[in-house]
Amino acid sequence: MEGIAIAMLGVALAVGLAGSGSAIGIGIVGQSACGLISEDPDKFGQTLLLQALPGTQGIYGLLAGFLIMQDIGIVGEELVELTVWQGYAFLMAALPIAIAGFSSGIYQGRVLASSINLIAKRPEEMGKGIVYAVMVETYAVFALLATILMLFGIDV
Amino acid sequence: MPIIDMNKVYILGHRQERQKIFNLLHQMGTVEMLDVKSGEAWRDFQTLLEPEQSSEELFQIDSHRSDIRFCLDFFQRHFPIRKSMLEQFTGSRLDLTDEQFSNYVASFDQVESVHQACREAEEKLVRIRNEVTQSQNLIEDLRPWASLDLPLEEVEDGSWTMMDLFIVPFENYSVLQEALTDSFSEYFLDKVFTDEENVYFFFSALTENKQEIDELFRNKAVTRASFPDVKGTPSELIDSLNKKLESLQHEKSIVLSGVEKLLVHRHMLMACYDYVDNEYEKHQAVDNLARTDNSFFMEGWVPVPVLNDLETMINDKTETAILATRDPEPHEQVPVLLHNKGMAEPYEVVTKLYSTPKKDELDPTPFMAPFFFLFFGICLSDAGYGILLGLLAFYLYRKLTLGESGRQLLKLLILGGISAFAFGILLGGYFGDLIALPALLFDPLKEPMTMLIAALGIGLFQVYFGMGLQAYRNIKGGKPLDAFYDQGFWFIFLNGLILWIAGITFGQWIALTGAVGLILTQGRSQRSLLLKFFSGLLSLYNVTQYLSDVLSYSRLFALGLASVVIGMVVNSVGDLAAGSIIGYIFLVIILVIGHFFNMIISTLSSYVHTSRLQYLEFFNKFFEGGGRSFKPFRIKNNYVDIVETEKG
Repeated sequence: MEGIAIAMLGVALAVGLAGSGSAIGIGIVGQSACGLISEDPDKFGQTLLLQALPGTQGIYGLLAGFLIMQDIGIVGEELVELTVWQGYAFLMAALPIAIAGFSSGIYQGRVLASSINLIAKRPEEMGKGIVYAVMVETYAVFALLATILMLFGIDV
Repeated sequence: MPIIDMNKVYILGHRQERQKIFNLLHQMGTVEMLDVKSGEAWRDFQTLLEPEQSSEELFQIDSHRSDIRFCLDFFQRHFPIRKSMLEQFTGSRLDLTDEQFSNYVASFDQVESVHQACREAEEKLVRIRNEVTQSQNLIEDLRPWASLDLPLEEVEDGSWTMMDLFIVPFENYSVLQEALTDSFSEYFLDKVFTDEENVYFFFSALTENKQEIDELFRNKAVTRASFPDVKGTPSELIDSLNKKLESLQHEKSIVLSGVEKLLVHRHMLMACYDYVDNEYEKHQAVDNLARTDNSFFMEGWVPVPVLNDLETMINDKTETAILATRDPEPHEQVPVLLHNKGMAEPYEVVTKLYSTPKKDELDPTPFMAPFFFLFFGICLSDAGYGILLGLLAFYLYRKLTLGESGRQLLKLLILGGISAFAFGILLGGYFGDLIALPALLFDPLKEPMTMLIAALGIGLFQVYFGMGLQAYRNIKGGKPLDAFYDQGFWFIFLNGLILWIAGITFGQWIALTGAVGLILTQGRSQRSLLLKFFSGLLSLYNVTQYLSDVLSYSRLFALGLASVVIGMVVNSVGDLAAGSIIGYIFLVIILVIGHFFNMIISTLSSYVHTSRLQYLEFFNKFFEGGGRSFKPFRIKNNYVDIVETEKG
């Protein structure tokens, strides 16, 4: 039964850290976007789209957290009996998306803040600004992949 | 042929018909004008030709244009037209019929008076704004003195006594008082007001002590509050200023209601702006021409398919103009116009976001289109979201009048919805797990490795396909050996490695053959034998590039799973609420909002990640880009769209 608490630390880290990365990233973009909106309120839609992009890391974190919660029975009928080592396995599996989600959310936010400057001058080039941001997100996707594969490998 | 062939076109005509031909070309919008002075005709016939210069009228038109712009901006500042969320992406324009448009343009002479009125209103508003700020500042300055019952004009130095209003920082006040009592026997100090920072006081003393007092005040950071040119006590002044502010507000509302009356001209101004702007373009295009005494000469590019239309038009509608065409020469920078048919057409928007192909290059659009269709579906992989997205995109497509790329994007999303629907059925996603139907193919949640290997397999196929296209380019470009060395050996080497890893020992010999081939050929551009060998050997390092390319496709698996699992999260959150009647209402709200949100986010990431796979993993195998897009001389719309009459 002791394993449950450790597995839940994994959930907390995946959701909390990746979510923080997204929150910081979205915050950075929002600050830049407000500056642009003061000049040109009609770009609200475009900037909102850009601001939403760093939100995916938080979603990946939530996804990983949900998968763990499902595996250990927190969402579902009853808690699964976990040994300490199984608990650690869940914790370790949560780490990739927790760490990479945190940093990539922040850096994606920075790239997008620059994209806001880009669409201030050339609104038609928004697509390219998004592509640059997606380069950063790649590593959150890979981290999520590692997390998922590790989770699927744990027998409970 | 996805890239349209272009022909060089020359038009020679009488000067009198120049404007007419210009109007015709402008309306057709199929010719890209070139500057004659940079073409060869100019070199060859320089003695005959003179540069045509845009007329004086250009300045006139430009000033009209900026006048109208001023009025429209002025209206927008005070009575903005708000754009809806959707219009911020699509741009909002005024729909006018041809007839309405010409009616508006016919009342062009009103522009002058509207502009005059706008200017005057703007001047008044600026003056009012300045006066408001001034009065507000004065009120702020007077406020601390409100309890001083002394007309301000009487506060002045006389020959025996001096008096004035002063402000001293709070912490200096008591020190100042002590210093005054110590140094002067005769003075009068009346504290009028105190706030957190300062003490405001009235001070009077003998004029003969003025210098010492000034000295002392300077030391204690005392400042003088001076109110020149005002009469009356501070409280009277504040009252009258407030009255003035009210009357200024009133005046402002009168001016604004005057402006509001002008708003009826807004549509007319919008139409006139587009008209004038296009006139400006036409007049400016004249700079590209050359002329002799009585004729003009122009040069441009025209897509071959519309060449006939252009010829008939020039022959039918003009009397003097002659048109000549020729094929482009190899050294010429031909502009590129993409034209894909059927299903591949919407995917042009993806290619164009990356780069326009060069004129002799393969247009990657038709090759990329099926992959894009497939990948988008795998990333979204939910039948429910697929239907929803398809219908939403279809609705917008029918409802909105959009530019070319907007239309293409919506079509792409409709196709994406269809693909996601198909993959949702294959992989068993219906709004997450809302409808529990078994997967037709397999369930990626239960068989993650199958899904991962499938994603990497599709990726490997696309990478090979890209290499194949490059090999085709090499062969077509007369370099079949390059195709064999650069793509063939890699193909052998990679396949050998894969077999080897898969446990087939014979694979190592295939890999070795490929590797030897690569070592022998990849350094062939180097001079010395040693360098040839080493750069050949070094090229094997590129295997990491291929490895990371293929691994990058694992995102298909991760994103596909993400959209479904987030859907499941929404469902289980909704489940928590279910139970009572209110609970079921919450359940429905949670499901609707949650799934809609997930659909939007998942669609966005499906689109961008699928694009990224095309750009970085596929295009870099065979596509260079860097071509110049075809930019025809045609009607531009800023504010107005001309719609056909009675179309409903």
